[in-house]
Amino acid sequence: MADLKLKGVTIVETFAEAFPMVGTRIIITAPSQEWAMIAARTMTGFATSVIACGAEAGIERILSPDETLDGRPGVAVLLFTMDADKLQRQLRNRVGQCVLTSPGSACFAGLEGEKKLKLGASLRFFGDGWQMSKLVGGRRFWRIPVMDGELLCEATTGLTKKAVGGGNLLVLGKTHAAVLAASQRAVKAIDEVEGVITPFPGGIVRSGSKVGSKYKGQIASTNDAYCPTLKAAVKTALPLDVEAVMEIVIDGLTKESIAKAMHAGIHAIAEGGADQGITHITAGNYGGNLGPHHFHLKEIVA
Amino acid sequence: MSALSFELKGKPDQRLDLSPLVPERLKDLKAKDIEALTIGSTRVPLTVGDAFKLKGNDPSEIRFVGTDGRCDKIGAGLKDGTILVEGDVGAYLGAGMKRGKIEVKGNAGVLAGASMAGGSIAVSGDADERAGGILVGETMGMKGGLLAIGGNAGPMVGERMRRGLVIVEGDAGDYAGGRMIAGTILLKRKVGRGAGYGLRRGSMILVEEPKDLLPTFGDCGVMEFDYLRLLEHWLHEAGKNIKLGGRARRLMGDMSVLGKGEMLILA
Repeated sequence: MADLKLKGVTIVETFAEAFPMVGTRIIITAPSQEWAMIAARTMTGFATSVIACGAEAGIERILSPDETLDGRPGVAVLLFTMDADKLQRQLRNRVGQCVLTSPGSACFAGLEGEKKLKLGASLRFFGDGWQMSKLVGGRRFWRIPVMDGELLCEATTGLTKKAVGGGNLLVLGKTHAAVLAASQRAVKAIDEVEGVITPFPGGIVRSGSKVGSKYKGQIASTNDAYCPTLKAAVKTALPLDVEAVMEIVIDGLTKESIAKAMHAGIHAIAEGGADQGITHITAGNYGGNLGPHHFHLKEIVA
Repeated sequence: MSALSFELKGKPDQRLDLSPLVPERLKDLKAKDIEALTIGSTRVPLTVGDAFKLKGNDPSEIRFVGTDGRCDKIGAGLKDGTILVEGDVGAYLGAGMKRGKIEVKGNAGVLAGASMAGGSIAVSGDADERAGGILVGETMGMKGGLLAIGGNAGPMVGERMRRGLVIVEGDAGDYAGGRMIAGTILLKRKVGRGAGYGLRRGSMILVEEPKDLLPTFGDCGVMEFDYLRLLEHWLHEAGKNIKLGGRARRLMGDMSVLGKGEMLILA
């Protein structure tokens, strides 16, 4: 097999298999960048995987005061689920518990979208009759009285059904430290791409999973083919000198944004070359029968 | 194509009803047919041709030149297009309009933008009483859109309005925002007596504190309003640089009615 090499790092000829998701973007603003970030981080906490978190969410980027509707510092947040009803529920709960509660925050739509999701339109009931609706420039906003003044919250935000979840890269290397450093570089590079998030801790997953298990009722279990401790016992995908594997999972509003993010990620991982201990870059798939989106690394890297 | 323009020939001897001169009505008419439209308001017949000199041929863009305070109902019921007026206008400017844009370089008579539902009106000079107010036979005043008055507004500006934004750059007369149902009025200078009389919902944003506050408004003190920042930002995008800041004193009222309205006096 004539694998492609990038600065000595092997790019395995395979593809990342990804799934359609529904997604939305909201803009959170606050009196300072720090507080906008606190609200955004809280809202996107415990949102690594739809398997048990209900949603996948993350911070897309920081917004300067001249980019937001109220001229205050802000943060753009992306939220993804498998269907629109779940997205609506997750949005309401997360904004209601984490943004409404955060001092000085305000919340705006961040996406036009094909359909609308309720934002302030459901939070307004917290106002117990004292809420006020304001139409500014054709967009409806709710002013909800709270203990530090008012929560200003746009009535709706947009929903896209063209979102894609599960774009991924697997980083294989000779030392744990090398793989972690390379993965961090990749996450940083992906952060620069518009319309994507890396929902896992620091953007990195160390416990990639396969579908199913030997145990009844366990829907996902450890990806043994990529566990370095099991090389001798299972049909391993790892060469003997690979000590650790980490995965970067990417969710995006469009499949183009995922491709762009994977491109940025691959080049960031290979930046230091094979000398820094990275041996392979590969991707996870299920044989191509489950997800409609296939991102072939060979095409992505070009 | 150039703007279809109507130049007033001389001082008319009766009030003119110019409500037929809107793009929707003129778009399929020839110049001759337009000149034959009747615009009189008395038993003495009067046509467009009698009162105006016509020029241009694009009815989506209408210009009035040399008009005076007897030219009523300009842009009344407007559904699209733009109307530019170089001169004063009479009563009912853009009354009941739904979309489109009206700009007046002069003063407006009574009931400018009364019961309008959308679009925008900008009057560079003063507007007489009940601007953005309520038309006879209607249940509500202004229902949407933007009414910007560059000069002073007469009494009862925004009377019974339901939605939309009225901006008064100069002073406003008595009973500003009287019986408002909802909506927003931004008053940049002095207001007369009885401001917010019968205010149910809606916001009156005041730059100066009224001299004579109704006793049926309750003080909430000064606090932060992100809404003001949002409004300032939107006004800026719409080409109006009005500094609102983020702090205001909030008065709730009118407690003699529903009392869910507010006066925000900029701090």
